[in-house]
Amino acid sequence: MRLPPAGFLLRRILLAALTLLALISVVFVLVRIAPGGPFDGERRLPDAVEQNLRAAYYLDEPLPKQYLRYLHGLLNGNLGPSFRNKDFNVNELIAAGLPTSATLGALALALALIAGISIGATAGLHQGSAIDRWLMALNNLNLAVPTLITAPLLVLLFAVVLSWLPAGGAEGWRHFVLPAIALALPFSGAIARLSRGSVIEQLTTDHLRTARAKGLSEKRIVLRHILPLSMLPVLSYLGPASAALLTGSVVVEQIFAMPGIGRYFVEGAINNDYTLVMGVVVVYSTFIACFNLAIDLAYAWIDPRLTATQ
Amino acid sequence: MPLSPMHHRFLRGRCLRYSVLLLFICCANATPQSHASTTLYVGNSGEPGTLDPHRYNLRLEETLLNDLFMGLTTFSAQGDVIPGAAASWSVSEDGLQWRFKLRTDLLWSDGTPLSADDFVYSLRRLLDPSTAASLAYFMYMLKNAEAVNKGELPVTALGVRSTDRHTLVMELHAPYPFLPERLLYPTAFPVPKHVIDKVGDAWTKPAHWVSNGAYTLADWQPEAYVELQQNPNFFARAPIQRARYLPLANEQAAYNRYRNGELHAIASFPASEIANAHKNYSTSLRQAPLLSMMYLVFNTRQPPFDDARVRTALALVIDQDILTDKVLRSGASAANGFTPAAINNYEHPKTDTNGTPEQLLRRAQQLLADAGYDANDPLRITLRHVSSNEVKKVNLAIAGMWRQLGVITELQQSTMNAHFADLRQGEFDVAWAGWIGENNAEHYLSLLASDVGDVNYGAYKSAEFDRLISLARNQADIAKRNELLQQAEAVALRDAPVVPLYSLASRRLVNPNLRGWYDNARDIHPLRYLRFAQDSTNQ
Repeated sequence: MRLPPAGFLLRRILLAALTLLALISVVFVLVRIAPGGPFDGERRLPDAVEQNLRAAYYLDEPLPKQYLRYLHGLLNGNLGPSFRNKDFNVNELIAAGLPTSATLGALALALALIAGISIGATAGLHQGSAIDRWLMALNNLNLAVPTLITAPLLVLLFAVVLSWLPAGGAEGWRHFVLPAIALALPFSGAIARLSRGSVIEQLTTDHLRTARAKGLSEKRIVLRHILPLSMLPVLSYLGPASAALLTGSVVVEQIFAMPGIGRYFVEGAINNDYTLVMGVVVVYSTFIACFNLAIDLAYAWIDPRLTATQ
Repeated sequence: MPLSPMHHRFLRGRCLRYSVLLLFICCANATPQSHASTTLYVGNSGEPGTLDPHRYNLRLEETLLNDLFMGLTTFSAQGDVIPGAAASWSVSEDGLQWRFKLRTDLLWSDGTPLSADDFVYSLRRLLDPSTAASLAYFMYMLKNAEAVNKGELPVTALGVRSTDRHTLVMELHAPYPFLPERLLYPTAFPVPKHVIDKVGDAWTKPAHWVSNGAYTLADWQPEAYVELQQNPNFFARAPIQRARYLPLANEQAAYNRYRNGELHAIASFPASEIANAHKNYSTSLRQAPLLSMMYLVFNTRQPPFDDARVRTALALVIDQDILTDKVLRSGASAANGFTPAAINNYEHPKTDTNGTPEQLLRRAQQLLADAGYDANDPLRITLRHVSSNEVKKVNLAIAGMWRQLGVITELQQSTMNAHFADLRQGEFDVAWAGWIGENNAEHYLSLLASDVGDVNYGAYKSAEFDRLISLARNQADIAKRNELLQQAEAVALRDAPVVPLYSLASRRLVNPNLRGWYDNARDIHPLRYLRFAQDSTNQ
């Protein structure tokens, strides 16, 4: 296999950068036209005070100038001050929250892969049996119930009733168990479906019949021939899944009171904290753009025809 | 496709091994770690936006700042006003000059002596326009304060000075007998000039932190926790060495963590769990009426709400007891005036809203008919409120009560910021509003004065009310002041520019082994009075 040509690579990076710029511009305008302002409260601020606040955050400048100021800051890696969190700037906040969100996302992804592939492969290898029917019925149930319901149920059972695990926070590894499960559940369902389908497909292939005819052990057949080949559709699902895991963590972090950037997003939106919302959007969208870029490149690497047609 | 028995054996063996491993991982060390009994874990109602007392804005920030700093006055364990950094004070006969004698043993947490000049610097900093303090107006009673804050006068023109190391003098532009209470707010706390001069805005970082309260800032992880530790240089050592405040804006998350034994106290929990808390956590449950007023405001700028008959009719059919006892059931108390019942030394004026519900309904129907509304031409109202389940329930019930009058009500909800922004601009018919305030009636009644600006959301204007408020504001004697305020309140209740609904109640869970915790109307519980009774586990 050969590497994709440099032209293709450059085109893709440029496209990703343009997408990011467009997204940032749209969000920049959207947060500002949302009702309410960052300094609104129950009591009106005296004009002088509001003027001082607006000047301190450059909100008294015309919008295009604010936009250019933001982009300039962004190019220098400066996401600006937070309106509500006055003692930390957005860079510091994201640096504090990202490890929690990333750990949660990575754990959930690993968990979703392990559980999804195990369930899918088991069901696929037992196609049509009672095990298959039960596993798939459970899997459909899992896919149907949203995180908003499973997460509180997990807390109620494992934290409040059984007291096995903490109900929230992120002070140690035990705090990540329930949120990672809650976040992983819907993805494990999708992965289980995909891997079941492709395991069944693999079971009917000619090379498997050959392998059996050669007298290979069942263990070897499953591990060497069925599982690796049936993983391709799962791999192509990983790109969108990683992006969805990131955004899904917004809900989970909120329910489990975890100090991740998903929570900043929610609180930033509620408080009209423009720069904080923008910062989280920039981080999320950069991640998603990178995932998509990596997957495009991986496709091109596996299937060189893609680079030829573009 | 059928599988060989070997397939089955292989899969079963694997699955079993992994399941056992997973179970082992989950159950190992399964019960929550018992906290070292020297550290207190408390749920706060959210993440502080700042720990700079001059830039703070929120109640939850006040909670932390009260432990980190000490103003001239401070709270007792019961939430009353007691001397803090000031040992005593006196006020001139005309009520315009206040003289504070500071304690002589005051130190900053780094050991630097604290003097009256620190208070002068701090009040100037608060009102300096470049600080952009959103609550700077809390100290507008100081002479020249507003002009200084607007940049019209230099900060040195502010009515505050020191006469010696331990004497601070404040000059007011009008008498303000509630000054000792106003000084409880962090806006009047001293900040360490010697640190701010050196590190600038970074002074609120744990690495540079210096304060004068019973505790200092040990660590601050945004959205995770704020950790405080005893201040060795504070004049009275606190029993609890360390405390961690966790930002738990989600009441359900706070409730779950308390039930799981992860926290010693929480700031609030969902109102829907009150019955459950009474049943299962009766010794943990702490409720007290709060100094607060939730009310409906009519937009008197526009018809039909410029007609007092319409407003009175709508007010008459609202049964506050039903709202608190049947709808909310959160411990809130029904309002019988525009000032909370918990205010000291103040009595509500008598009102004429007595009568059976049927009598009140008939009176309301008559008033509405006089104003020109009947079944053929029903009154249509848009009732605005903030997006909160509790508030929505209340407003639905009110819409139901108005239905008896044939009034058709449409509910409209928005976020807190958007709601109050629209209220200030007068873009509403009738709206829900709330005010959590001080222990004096003026703080609430001022909301209806015509000179208070757009926080008088409904633009109520009454020459009689304004005259009484203005007289009260220039009265230095508290009893006489309260008499005038009572008369003003009677005028407002007669004109019905607002419908007082209820006062909130605090709703906390506190570990029964945590001693020194007293319920009070301000819901204030300074850490320095708390202590553990031996080891503590939640009920």
